[in-house]
Amino acid sequence: MIFREVEDRDLIAKARKGDVEAYNLLVSRWEKRVFNYLLRLVSNREDALDVSQEVFLKAYQSLPKLDALDRFGAWLFRIAHNEAFSLLRRRKPEGEPPLERGQVRGSELLPMELSMAVETALGRLSEEQREAVLLKVYQGFKFEEMAEILSCPVSTAKSRLYTALDLLKATLSPVILRGDL
Amino acid sequence: MSCEQYDWKAYALGELTSVDRREADAHRAACESCQNELAHMRLTVEALGALREEEVPRRIAFVSDKVFEPRWWQVFLRPSFAAALVIAAAIVAHGYIARPANDAEIQARIDQAVAAAEERNVEAVNTVDKKLTDFYVKATGIVRQ
Repeated sequence: MIFREVEDRDLIAKARKGDVEAYNLLVSRWEKRVFNYLLRLVSNREDALDVSQEVFLKAYQSLPKLDALDRFGAWLFRIAHNEAFSLLRRRKPEGEPPLERGQVRGSELLPMELSMAVETALGRLSEEQREAVLLKVYQGFKFEEMAEILSCPVSTAKSRLYTALDLLKATLSPVILRGDL
Repeated sequence: MSCEQYDWKAYALGELTSVDRREADAHRAACESCQNELAHMRLTVEALGALREEEVPRRIAFVSDKVFEPRWWQVFLRPSFAAALVIAAAIVAHGYIARPANDAEIQARIDQAVAAAEERNVEAVNTVDKKLTDFYVKATGIVRQ
């Protein structure tokens, strides 16, 4: 017997009709990507998890509004982007002590040195620049999809990414080439 | 300085078309600056790939969440609910059809049954009596008056 993997669009269609299990399967397929994206953006594990829950809840409630089922990924990350920046905006007026970018508050450091160096370098970027790297390098979105998620022109998304890459190159290349790692 | 018209970031990210890539390769072969630019950009992108992906601390699921409960009318569409509904309807119908009678009805049924039994007994006695009479006549030749 040949088993065909159920497509996301099939699961979305079922979830729209109230099939909770179909939606849970969809969540299990996307939760790790969404969580990691949010973790690098908000730099806090608990916040990333809370926002992830919120993202999937809002996505479920908004499923009937999703026009193109094939664009579920970009649509989901658009919700994640909105939720993450909503949290970041709420944080700022509270005058919380600024975290060193890239450090995950209250959690253990990552074990691999290169991974730490990358995390630190990512933390030195602005939120917009870091997000552009996350969407392109880690999530593999096309520039058009990035523009859709970020709600900005393609040229802006590309510009943010390229500026970020220049900064990352300046930070990471010397460290790697010196053989510090 | 690299030559501005060549997009080495797009090259390192694999975003160039095959035509643009061939053109960039041809230029790079003769341009040390662009070779360095691409090498550093590749190094950077590869280093970014070393960032460890984190596991989700706990499963994100909403089965128990109220908003994920089906609407009231969707409950009727569940097979288990429909089966339970049919069984319940059958029990109610059976109870109505075979409902217990009141005392007067019971007494009437008893009287009817007793009357029927008595009638059957009379018939049986008459039958036996007739058989005995026939036997007697056959055996003695005497017809009893």
